[in-house]
Amino acid sequence: MLKRIATLGSFPCPDLPRLVDGLPIGIALLDGHGHILMLNKTLEALTGFSREEVKGLPCRHVLRSRACVQNCPHARKENQVVETDCINRHRRKIPIRITPVTVHNQEGQPICILDVVEDLTTLKEMEARLSQSAGQGQIIGRSPAMEKILRLVPVIAQHDSPLLITGEIGTGKDLLAESVHKASPRSREPFVRFSCGPMPSEMLDTELFGRMVGQGSEIQPGRFQQAQGGTLYLSEISELPQLQQTALVRYVDEGTILPVGASKPIAVNARLMASTAESPEKLVQEGRLREDLFHRISAIRLHLPKLQERGEDLEFLLHHFLTHFAHRFKKEITTISAEALHIIREHSFPGNIRELKNIIEFAAMVCTDEEIRAEHIPGHLSRTLTQTPKHLASKQRKTLGKKS
Amino acid sequence: MEHRILITVAQDEIAPRFDLTTEVLLVTLSENDDLIARKSFLLAHASGDELCDLALSRDMGVIVCGAIEDEYYHYLRWKRIEVIDSVMGPVEEVISCLVQGKLKTGDILYQRTREKE
Repeated sequence: MLKRIATLGSFPCPDLPRLVDGLPIGIALLDGHGHILMLNKTLEALTGFSREEVKGLPCRHVLRSRACVQNCPHARKENQVVETDCINRHRRKIPIRITPVTVHNQEGQPICILDVVEDLTTLKEMEARLSQSAGQGQIIGRSPAMEKILRLVPVIAQHDSPLLITGEIGTGKDLLAESVHKASPRSREPFVRFSCGPMPSEMLDTELFGRMVGQGSEIQPGRFQQAQGGTLYLSEISELPQLQQTALVRYVDEGTILPVGASKPIAVNARLMASTAESPEKLVQEGRLREDLFHRISAIRLHLPKLQERGEDLEFLLHHFLTHFAHRFKKEITTISAEALHIIREHSFPGNIRELKNIIEFAAMVCTDEEIRAEHIPGHLSRTLTQTPKHLASKQRKTLGKKS
Repeated sequence: MEHRILITVAQDEIAPRFDLTTEVLLVTLSENDDLIARKSFLLAHASGDELCDLALSRDMGVIVCGAIEDEYYHYLRWKRIEVIDSVMGPVEEVISCLVQGKLKTGDILYQRTREKE
């Protein structure tokens, strides 16, 4: 075959294997039946196979792409570019683009096929990063209150000022903090979450600010050092003892922290975000949050409304979680009955969105057909509504009447 | 003790991809590696997850397949299923190697086509 290629032009053909080996993209040379004639070095590295061991094999077993199995590019009349994925010898799934090129002789007869294979890993990773930072992460909502917050996220994300997020438990404070980080120029750097739960003061200092180890020359990193260049998010900041609150005031003012055992402070660059489920003004009044810290961390302040105040979001989130869990449990659940919906609507949701999510997860778990019905809703909700409401009963009678 | 083996199949050869397989062959070998049963299964659609479930529910000890993603490979190994992957060749050749007890990962059992000068 190579000899035939050498006779193609009037000039002496260059050493083809050396020529394609020098290319930075994968090349597979195939005969008319789709059997491998050779792979270049880039494709050898991509697939994990050497040209000697795969010579003469059907290309579908060497490239092992989705397109090879479902929609072979060579089976089409026209050479079309295909974006697909392959699994290499090291069991790694790699996104690729295949461009088949038919090589003809001087009489226009096809003599072989060149498969140009490009590794799209870097491109796909970049796309994923961009889509993450362009969207609002996983936080969703259609109510006016949430739309207002979601519109603010990209604006707030561009600044480095501390952010305070308030809202009842289960309203999505952590998710909102992460969304702001993802939309910020710091998105490629770490997002470090720290829950300011009760723990001994020294351990808390070590956890937050790190400590000197060895002969005092090395620092065991704390959360601040881990968040270097990125974002440090402190949830339930009011749980933090006064001593650590003072250290935070110093960080916001000077941008420095003092690791345990260190003699002088070190500079750290991390955006500070904090959250609390209670009213920060009330916390200040009760002396649980230092007033100077409150004024510093609330440079930007966002309040997440509770689920009952989010109106249409209840049904929107309900269907969102239903789709999510139906997919996760591999079920064909598509609807929710009027009675089940009524039970959910009448619930007060003290646990807000987290509680709604748990309810739908349970319902999807126990549901065996296409519709979530009242018996699939957790017992503690349905017990409060033991009798079917009159308007629902009449609606059911009407539906039955139509069917008969 | 019997060996229960699941082989991923596409027409008369090993399927190039585990996760895109729609046909499997369930083979039972005796303690002396004699073939005592073989049964074909057609799947409604290709799914790596469902193939793993099938292997587990049928108590398979070995899976013979082509390309398999890391995630499935390690899951099956964790479930104590031996995975002989990257196998290429006709199914009958593969069964013959299994009966002889000499099939191993990466085996290529095709008769190679020769380059025509």
